Amino acid sequence: MGPIDERTELDSDEEIPFSTSPAVRKSHAFDCEAVHLGTRRGALNSWIRKQMGFRTLRSIYIVLLTAKINVLLPFGPAAILLHYLTGKHGLVFFFSLLGITPLAERLGYATEQLAFYTGPTVGGLLNATFGNATEMIISIYALQNGMIRVVQQSLLGSILSNMLLVLGCAFFTGGIVHHEKVQLFSKAAALVNSGLLLMAVMGLMFPAVLHFTHTEVHFGKSELALSRFSSCIMLVAYASYLFFQLKSQPNLYGQIGEEGANEEDSENEEAPEITQWEAIGWLAILTSWVSILSGYLVDAIQGASDSLHIPVAFISVILLPIVGNAAEHASAIMFAVKDKLDITLGVAIGSSTQISMFVIPFCVVVGWLMGKPMDLNFQLFETATLFVAVLVVAFMLQEGTSNYFKGLMLILCYLIVAASFFVHVDPANDDD
Amino acid sequence: MFSCSFSRRKWIPSCNSTPFPSSRNLIWQMGSLDERSVRGREDKSHLHGMDNVTQKSDFICVADEGSFSGVSRVSSVKMLSNGVCRSIKTVVFSNKLNLLMPFGPVAILVHILTSNQGLVFFFSLLGITPLAERLGYATEQLAFYTGATVGGLLNATFGNATELIISIHALRGGMIRVVQQSLLGSILSNMLLVLGCAFFCGGFVFIKKEQVFNKSTAVVNSGLLLMAVMGLLFPAVLHYTHSEVHFGKSELALSRFSSCIMLIAYGAYLYYQLKTQVHQYVPLNEEGSPSPSGESQNADDNDEEPEISKWEAIIWLAVMTAWISFLSEYLVDAIDGASKAWHIPIAFISVILLPIVGNAAEHASAIMFAMKDKLDISLGVAIGSSTQIAMFGIPFCVVFGWIIGCPMDLNFHLFETAVLFITVIVVAFLLQEGTSNYFKGLMLILCYLIVAASFFVHVDPTKDDASLEN
Repeated sequence: MGPIDERTELDSDEEIPFSTSPAVRKSHAFDCEAVHLGTRRGALNSWIRKQMGFRTLRSIYIVLLTAKINVLLPFGPAAILLHYLTGKHGLVFFFSLLGITPLAERLGYATEQLAFYTGPTVGGLLNATFGNATEMIISIYALQNGMIRVVQQSLLGSILSNMLLVLGCAFFTGGIVHHEKVQLFSKAAALVNSGLLLMAVMGLMFPAVLHFTHTEVHFGKSELALSRFSSCIMLVAYASYLFFQLKSQPNLYGQIGEEGANEEDSENEEAPEITQWEAIGWLAILTSWVSILSGYLVDAIQGASDSLHIPVAFISVILLPIVGNAAEHASAIMFAVKDKLDITLGVAIGSSTQISMFVIPFCVVVGWLMGKPMDLNFQLFETATLFVAVLVVAFMLQEGTSNYFKGLMLILCYLIVAASFFVHVDPANDDD
Repeated sequence: MFSCSFSRRKWIPSCNSTPFPSSRNLIWQMGSLDERSVRGREDKSHLHGMDNVTQKSDFICVADEGSFSGVSRVSSVKMLSNGVCRSIKTVVFSNKLNLLMPFGPVAILVHILTSNQGLVFFFSLLGITPLAERLGYATEQLAFYTGATVGGLLNATFGNATELIISIHALRGGMIRVVQQSLLGSILSNMLLVLGCAFFCGGFVFIKKEQVFNKSTAVVNSGLLLMAVMGLLFPAVLHYTHSEVHFGKSELALSRFSSCIMLIAYGAYLYYQLKTQVHQYVPLNEEGSPSPSGESQNADDNDEEPEISKWEAIIWLAVMTAWISFLSEYLVDAIDGASKAWHIPIAFISVILLPIVGNAAEHASAIMFAMKDKLDISLGVAIGSSTQIAMFGIPFCVVFGWIIGCPMDLNFHLFETAVLFITVIVVAFLLQEGTSNYFKGLMLILCYLIVAASFFVHVDPTKDDASLEN
């Protein structure tokens, strides 16, 4: 239950220490008063309406106004306005990027709040599913538009960004803050996670390798069928991964989660800040907001690429994942600064594993249902980059220590990868 | 194939110095009714050294009595036939897998009577499987008599005898791609399928805890395997970067040279293993066995005495090898026809179906050891077999092809090479952790499914290497 714990602690640090107890007490007091006021329907109804109004305001206050990142919220509507008023796709793209970022973060917050009410099992499932909801929503929109390469590249970029940029920033800032010592993390958990990630990436790579050695039975079609079959298998693997994690977490992962929880319990009470129905409501609202903005974002990609004179590959691989990963980025850095590298690793590697085992196969299956030929054939360059990056990071994590130099190296590697994609264009003669 | 027995012997060196081997030979060669009852007793319980001594003295008395030539000649013929019957009973009828044995002759019949290549292929596959297992059994029995060193050599050589025999027949038929793909498929199957099934079954049985295995042995073995695969890859990489001096010919020469070097490396590997096994593996196993049944390992029913005599073992070894060789010919001849009849690519048959035959016995033993919480042995079986094929089987086939003038080389094509490299790296990385659970096994099995599916839609490129293919 690492992700839940770390998100709770994330909010406790980011928000004004709005202690829940007086609010809870106040609402209880109002409840009692409402009961004791008698059965006069009219007064009761107006009282309940006032209370709901109060509650709604409080909810809005907690969810929208207490996180510093929410200053970016107005960019969302600004992007929509720009879309309709001007034809400047570059600005639309940029503003919708900025607008989605806080929504993604609040989505994670709402998921975490809901997880308080549903218990560890369903809470874990919720986190696992909604953890990458932003990427999934953006990908589904792009698939609907037939922008298959954008989907592939944005998901791949998300994995690369998690493994290189997020991890690198976390190691770097943690190393700078704790520069007099070497930070440690649990080797066993890192090995397990990176082993899973390696296997997932391996499963994703075979269709690409098959295609690029030109050894398919029916060129193009076999590879699509193989991709779809592999995606179904990867989804089965992801389901068993969740099952395995939730069943065995007291044995395997509980140690890490418990350590974090025991140290943090004194700082924040793990009490939810909004009620269950509020959490569900906010979840729905934020998801629909993210959906709307994603629509504008995806529509503006091509135009932004033309007007800003940067390749679509760069936008997909580098810029889009920044949105989906912003919240994870912030929380990973924060935990590294607090010397809780295990949670950082869980966030970064866990997110990469989720994307490679769940989101990518999910997008292939959704594309199958929509009739779009989305497949696992990332092009040769992307596949090679992914494999090399995953392998190198997996090996690097075996040591169990971190310092600012390792973080700096990871960030610099990410810069090189970003630069490669800046001058990368898809081969036009090979693919559809 | 039965490298498991080799590794077994690695950690129970005391088993090699079986008590009173010479007396046992004496006992078995007497072949009397008393011996049958002794044998029956042996089947039921452990025969300890003390019992041996008493029976030895009994039989020496019998031997003294039966030394009159006439009586001894009649009784020796009777003894011989009794011995043969008993031997057949031990070897052929005591294993459930041998139910598949009739499929061998059936395959030959089908080949002669009909031209249904698909059925011939399928039946000969089924027919070879029990023979391969019995071959391993005979090797293991013979190893009881020959001591540690030669026993280890025997296991190492005959361990993958089935795959080697099939490959030799295919080479003689000029089917170079089939040889390359079946050996590669054997490595992949060992590393993904056998290991995955072992982890999965073991993890399922021991669902409450995490199974551990000895990290250092696994790391050493997977390091060796990585080096072997690296040695195999360079000719392929050279060829595919189109940077050879003489296109096509340099790569063949390089392959042959690399194979000789790999064979030397394998010889050194065997030497190193046999020399250091006493020091290295005994203490590791004692501390590496976490289960409470660790103490009973020495009194295990695995290190029991041999069940057939030395000469019987040698004869059975020869008989099995001949039978396998015979059936392999039909198998290899039927590959092409089966591929057309069933509409599946030859690549799939070579990479996925053929190795099932060679690996069936290892598969079963690896799963059984995992379920007994002896993951070290499972790992030894799986990784050891892969290493043997990579360091011995493949170079041996290249050298054999060189001798018979067949251009077999180390240039597995790009897809196979990439798949092999990726798989070996990932599995080597996975094994570094030292623990196992059913989920890891499931992931390995699922990865093997994806690999199998890739080969199902894989066809060799016809435009590129026409000169190197048959």
